Amino acid sequence: MTRSREIGRAGWGWTAFAGIIALIYFFPVMWIIMTAFKTRPDALAVPPKFFFTPTLDNFVGVFFRAVISGGGAAQATEFPLYFFNSIFIAGVSCLLALIIGTIAAYGFSRYPLKGNETYMFIILTTRMMPAIVVVIPIFLMFREIGLSGTYAGIIFLYTAFNLPFTIWMVRSFFDELNTEIEDAARMDGATERQLFFGICLPQVKAGLAATFVFGLILTWNEFLFALLLTGVDTRTVPVAMARTLGGEMGVDYGLLAAIVTLFLIPIFFVTFLLQNQLLRGVTFGTVRK
Amino acid sequence: MASSAVVAHEIRSEGGFLPWLLAPQRRGPLLVAPALIVLFLMNIFPLLWSFGLSFYNYSAKKRDVPDFVGLRFFERVVTDPVVWERFKTTAIIVSSSVLMQLVVGFLLALLFAKQFPLRRILLMLVLTPMMLSLVAVGVFFKLFYEPTFGLVSQAVAMFTGDRYALLGSPTGAIIGVVIADAWMWSPFVMLLVLAGLVSVPKYLYEAAEIDRTSPWRRFQTITFPYIKSLLLLAVLFRTIETFKLFDVVYILTEGGPGTATETIGVYVYRLAFQYFRTSQSAALAYIILFVVIVLTSLYLYAVNRRAQEVD
Amino acid sequence: MKRSWEGWLHGVSLVALAAGSLMLAPGQANAADITITMAAPDWPPTRFMKEEFDRSFKSASGNNITLEMDYIPWPSFYERVAASLTSGEQKYQMIVTDSQWLGSFVDGGYYKDLTEEIKNDPELTAIMKDLHPALVSAYSTYPNKSPQFIKDNPFPAPDTHYYGFPQFPDTYVTFYRKDLFCNETEAKKFQESFNQKLPCTYEDWQDVDWTVYENIGKHFMRKKGDPLGDGVADDDFFGVSFQAGKSYDFSSMQVNAFIWQNGGEIWDETRQPEAQAEGVVNSDINVKAFEQYLNFIQYMPPVAKTGQADIFVIQDLYMQGKTATTIDWVGLGEPVLDPKTSRVHDKSAFGPAPGVRKEDGTIDRTGNIGGQPFVLTTWNSPEVDAAAIEVVKWWLKPETQKKFAANGGQSGLMSVMADPEYDSLRPWNRAHKEMLDWQRDVWHVPEFFELLTQQQEEFDKAITGQITAQEALDSIARFQQQTLEDAGRIE
Repeated sequence: MTRSREIGRAGWGWTAFAGIIALIYFFPVMWIIMTAFKTRPDALAVPPKFFFTPTLDNFVGVFFRAVISGGGAAQATEFPLYFFNSIFIAGVSCLLALIIGTIAAYGFSRYPLKGNETYMFIILTTRMMPAIVVVIPIFLMFREIGLSGTYAGIIFLYTAFNLPFTIWMVRSFFDELNTEIEDAARMDGATERQLFFGICLPQVKAGLAATFVFGLILTWNEFLFALLLTGVDTRTVPVAMARTLGGEMGVDYGLLAAIVTLFLIPIFFVTFLLQNQLLRGVTFGTVRK
Repeated sequence: MASSAVVAHEIRSEGGFLPWLLAPQRRGPLLVAPALIVLFLMNIFPLLWSFGLSFYNYSAKKRDVPDFVGLRFFERVVTDPVVWERFKTTAIIVSSSVLMQLVVGFLLALLFAKQFPLRRILLMLVLTPMMLSLVAVGVFFKLFYEPTFGLVSQAVAMFTGDRYALLGSPTGAIIGVVIADAWMWSPFVMLLVLAGLVSVPKYLYEAAEIDRTSPWRRFQTITFPYIKSLLLLAVLFRTIETFKLFDVVYILTEGGPGTATETIGVYVYRLAFQYFRTSQSAALAYIILFVVIVLTSLYLYAVNRRAQEVD
Repeated sequence: MKRSWEGWLHGVSLVALAAGSLMLAPGQANAADITITMAAPDWPPTRFMKEEFDRSFKSASGNNITLEMDYIPWPSFYERVAASLTSGEQKYQMIVTDSQWLGSFVDGGYYKDLTEEIKNDPELTAIMKDLHPALVSAYSTYPNKSPQFIKDNPFPAPDTHYYGFPQFPDTYVTFYRKDLFCNETEAKKFQESFNQKLPCTYEDWQDVDWTVYENIGKHFMRKKGDPLGDGVADDDFFGVSFQAGKSYDFSSMQVNAFIWQNGGEIWDETRQPEAQAEGVVNSDINVKAFEQYLNFIQYMPPVAKTGQADIFVIQDLYMQGKTATTIDWVGLGEPVLDPKTSRVHDKSAFGPAPGVRKEDGTIDRTGNIGGQPFVLTTWNSPEVDAAAIEVVKWWLKPETQKKFAANGGQSGLMSVMADPEYDSLRPWNRAHKEMLDWQRDVWHVPEFFELLTQQQEEFDKAITGQITAQEALDSIARFQQQTLEDAGRIE
């Protein structure tokens, strides 16, 4: 498994060069984060303001709303619930997809079916489908079986959406493993369960982590299904975010930026922690030894 | 492959349903069954349902019993000039966006292929756009392009003295959409290419060093073969993904000016959820699906070739 | 690891159970405890409704009635409501709706016909008679009856079905910078250039027609550094603005005003199936009217040329001090007066929207009505219906309506508007009242969204200079003729 991890080393000079480019690339994100700390006149100032007195009003606005008819304390918003929903729904569905997908991937890898590759192709096809293609029938199906607006419905749906990706990636990890160890263990009388949990799974742990992160990125910002299939109590942040896009006035840039910034934090840290695995995971399990 | 295990299991198996189910020859099907069931329920079944719907005159808005109309909606969709116009728009946006993602992603990958101090942190900065909500990307790029308040317009005005309305012309609007989409997803291509670059065995470079090959030649003969199929893979994967382009366009231009940036994704959405032409949207969805399957096959072909090359 | 998985799974099944039991026990189970869930766009007028309900609602029947609002962001409001209704989840007992959706959802069997209820309830009948006819026409009747018909036939009008009540009645008015319009230097310059008075007071604005408005546009075009008022412009400055955006109905609402004021017509849904689209929609009058609309683009901020000058963009440009006037919805007025969002909060005044001057010298200000009614859904038990009716009566009580108006809302009741105090409640109230008499509405038929989207696309092409007014209207007329013939609405 040892291979060169890089084609060259470089020093601080390269860091400076890469730093400039990375900052330019990051600029729109930085602008969004800066906007989160601006008042509306500052956010729309001409010429644009790079230096300004920061305000936390937008962040307060994420969690509290002023009462219309004057007086009285501000009301708490439902944002904490939506934030929880996003984490809960994305987390559970990615985990479920990982569990079901890993089991299936093990099957496809170690016990090939007749027409194994055809199954794999069909599974891949479902991943490649535009969400719009399936949202109509899923919408109709949810309507029939009463899953609209429930946690179970949206979690089940996201699980299905993460599955193809999970299966393809995890299978390639299993394929990559050296089967000699497994054979030896078998000779020693290990059961299938021991083989799976004791030998195979530990070896692909990093890959599973990467798969999880990738699923999370794809699920985290999903909008269309969430808009149509969640209810008051199960609404996620991307849907709730739309409330900043217009009502009594146009886009509330500061508030939107504050929500986006807060919403970016968890996914940013998960990605940062699992950065090295992600690099491997992104090749969709197709880069082999 | 695992003959000893098979024997061991056969010895242990006795009568009854559970042992029958757990017999070794059924282990493969058993392992993949949960995944296939979930996929069938949530993906394949709804698809078949909508395939069925596309032969009926049905609108989710009404509670009427649908009539069977055969291929009428397929005929209507295929002969609808609007559909082909939307496909054309989609093709233009997809091809320019993917091209741009490739170029930018490739250059970024070259930048990060080296090991240098703070690489992990700088790489995270470049990866962040991918994690942003599509709503945010749409809204803020719209603001950047806005002629009075927008940064782009004001930057242009510093040179020309006049405010610049990028989204005012069809070409400008397409460019605007492409930049937003490519900015968001170039990091993805970068990761793919980076994975290819790090998989090049070091000894090949060392050998080239000894032979005093020129950098360009080294790239052609060593680096490129390793990233070639990954690039192809990036093209196809991103093509398929960009084909789905909906949210960013919808927020950024809502298909305008006129219909200049109205992608097929936006059109299906309108048919399905604004006009409630459920059957017609299902028929169009199937035509999109056909295109996607063709692309998927190409994708797999590329993947297999890659696998053969490397082995 | 395994343990936490079990925990998660446990959580999932618990939640699924909870969600399931919630669905089995909708609010109407207990006669004494009634919960009404209302689908509402997330903005102040509906927020106020909930606040005020919790404060002042008392059930006459002694039931314990709760009003639950499902606040949905405006941009996805239609999609979400449509999905909920058509999915059959029957979640909402009341719905705030755009008037144009009436046809779709009455046809689908989701909005309740209230004609009989109103007839049998003297209190409701009195409310209906007290509502402004333009609002009854646009917000309540389907198939649609014209404001004139409603005016001539007080409730119950023959052959008319009533569905909704005003939640927030809205019209567009002129927002203007009184610091500029009442500035002597500017007034003098305007007088020199156009031999006209620069409108300053409300009465002045009552005399502003499109010709004057165009002169205002020309007059206030300034480059950065040019003198403006008593100072200089700190950025490019523009004369006028009105809605010219591609999204939703953000150009049709204003184009229709130009068409009607000039004596043109849109396809008339009240005269099905004789009324035609072709020849009407693209008549010479309409083409002229649309050209008149397009002519103003040059005096607007450059965003107008991109077809993105929607109702919010023009509001923002006005609030950030980039335009001298704008014509926008009363519903977007509050942020203009808020120092947190607006740079012109202390410099703004409001007047009626301009119109076309007729031969007798009066001005025709016909406009397209905005705002939203609220309706009841069809699947509720009699107890819930009764409770919902109580909510309707409470909302349309003069006290509630006055409080609403004082907090940025508008009343639809003529008796409330007639109160001399009403005009002074908010600075735009006088203009709103004047405009209300001029309101008409776009189509309410189920094909509304298709007609609207295609029309917005064609208008947008003309606004961005891709095609001419004639070409746009020809294409719209052709499409409407075809679509409405297919739907059996034109013979």
